[in-house]
Amino acid sequence: MTNQELEQRLAGALSRTAPDDLEGVLSRCAEQKGDVISVTRKKKYPVMRNLVAACLTVALVGGGMIYQQAYAVTSIVSLDVNPSIELKVNKRECVLVCEALNAEAEAVLADMNGGADLEGTKLNVAVNAIVGTLMRNGYLDSISSAILISVEDGDQTRAVRLQQELTAEVDTVLLAQASEAAVFSQTVKKDVALEKQAKENRISTGKASLITQITERNHELTFEKLSALSVEELKDLLEAGAPGMPIGREAAVSAAKQYAGVSGLSSVQWEVDAELDDVPACYEVDLYISGMELEYAVDAYSSKVIRGTPVTISKNSSGAFPDSIGTNGEKLIGEDAALDAAVADFCARYPDLRSKDITNHCVELDMDDGKVRYDVKFYLNGYEVDYDIDAKSGCVLEWDADHEGLVAETKIAANGDVGRAKAMQIALAHAGLTESQTTRLQIEKDKGNRRMVYEIEFKEGKTEYEYIIDAATGVVLEHEKDRDD
Amino acid sequence: MLLEMIQTTEYETRLSRKELDQFLFRVAAGETEALSLLYHYSRVAVYATALSVLKNAHNAQDVTQDTFVRVWESAAQYRSQGSPMAWILTIARNLALTKLRQGKRQAELDEERWDAIPAEVPNITVEDRRLIQEALSGLSDEERRIVLLHAVSGLKHREIAELLKLPLATVLSKYHRALKKLRMFMKGDDAL
Repeated sequence: MTNQELEQRLAGALSRTAPDDLEGVLSRCAEQKGDVISVTRKKKYPVMRNLVAACLTVALVGGGMIYQQAYAVTSIVSLDVNPSIELKVNKRECVLVCEALNAEAEAVLADMNGGADLEGTKLNVAVNAIVGTLMRNGYLDSISSAILISVEDGDQTRAVRLQQELTAEVDTVLLAQASEAAVFSQTVKKDVALEKQAKENRISTGKASLITQITERNHELTFEKLSALSVEELKDLLEAGAPGMPIGREAAVSAAKQYAGVSGLSSVQWEVDAELDDVPACYEVDLYISGMELEYAVDAYSSKVIRGTPVTISKNSSGAFPDSIGTNGEKLIGEDAALDAAVADFCARYPDLRSKDITNHCVELDMDDGKVRYDVKFYLNGYEVDYDIDAKSGCVLEWDADHEGLVAETKIAANGDVGRAKAMQIALAHAGLTESQTTRLQIEKDKGNRRMVYEIEFKEGKTEYEYIIDAATGVVLEHEKDRDD
Repeated sequence: MLLEMIQTTEYETRLSRKELDQFLFRVAAGETEALSLLYHYSRVAVYATALSVLKNAHNAQDVTQDTFVRVWESAAQYRSQGSPMAWILTIARNLALTKLRQGKRQAELDEERWDAIPAEVPNITVEDRRLIQEALSGLSDEERRIVLLHAVSGLKHREIAELLKLPLATVLSKYHRALKKLRMFMKGDDAL
């Protein structure tokens, strides 16, 4: 089955199950059409006048009470991801104190003068700024991330209102950044014992309250150990029924590195994502070594690696790249052999070319879908060539080439348009085909992001080609090739 | 008559960007007929986008309707740049993400499961069920999103990359991996 046939079957199945309720849509649109509210600038002035009048009234009537109200804490709002930040707020919903409760929070608030810059600002503005900073620091960027908003206030009505308003505020920030992180919120009643416990463990009372719910489910879990987990981990743990104590992110990374055989390499970088609500519960760990990505899943309770390829890596003479990677210390063919294999294959396709004419090259080791490969790039007689070579067998997995000559030849199109025929010729030359070899050839001129482009599609046997060519210069902007198995 | 024709040719002919642009401009001018045409051409793509985020057919149906109401409200803000379909699908995706967050807050844990068969489609064929429920459930969330968008929206891989805020290389590799997985599943299915 070709890609196209598979996609057509999918599209067909979805079209038969997708809703077809045009009437429902039109009736809702009609309702709104009848209730159109004309927003004009004029409307704003009475509102502004009322606000000014209200402010004056408060100033005159409030008198000496204002000073006292301004410095009295009425609400405590905490934001927990793993950084925990606490905001003490007055009756006018201005921030009196912004405090980092743990080291991660201190790092997040560093560019806001440790939180002091937020003091005196409105609560919603401060929360907006903090969530923005959390995102810039790499928190809240995966769908499994979560932020917990907790509001403690003696006035329960105000607590609920603040909870709703802040949740909407955070939602807006996340939506604007296309973050898929979850937002949890709660109101918390004052509890002196819980506050003490929270303070001792450098977390917010909001997070402490979440931990208490977990320890109530499983008495063997300790408050202290759970304090080290992120909101995302705690939320998943609670949903999973708190079956045990997760090993935590650091231990998961350590287990993955040990399993991968790269514990001793200082250049290893990683990303870790807790999936405690999966079955089996695990930490997904991605290790990055010399531009290569290795994926592992570590059991969240036993530290056992349950998915991923064990590897052994040794460095080549220059120490720059690993030259051996495999399950049993299998040797790889090496960068030089990978380059030779790629060049030999390319020159066999274009007999006029000579391998000695290579002007520049680059070889990188990569792992994709459990397969170790060399990404080879070289330049030869105006061609920019990319190859994927199987790192163990030396076989060609994929190849692709651009030709600069064709671009240079067409760059000076007098009317700013190379024309359909030339665009087609460029695409076919790029693919190494003649028009007679292709079927379903289509060309369409369209407006791209910033320029006019030709979109060209054709098939050769079971291979589908798609090109986007700059109409003015003939440059191949994008190309795709799908091979059907 | 026109609508009948559109329904029968929905997946054989996709609208060009220019035509979609024109429909959106007409929707902005308050033409419900243009909205009807837009609905028939893009409802499956909108539904697939919502479903790929929410993983739940019932919620995806709600978001599909909300999306077209939002298109009706916002068409005047549309500017002809890039892909009009991507503009519509961005609305669908944002509405779906909002619903997803609301659902998570309400701890609707069932939404985590891939549940692509709406309750009110009783006569679904075994083949359709196997494909969109069982085969797609074997993909990761991102693979499923990419494959669905490519299969039904007519968006190019680079437009999908832009919509999902992913590097093009990631979209391409996940797309090919996903199709490979689907093909393996379907092969096994045919062998049964």
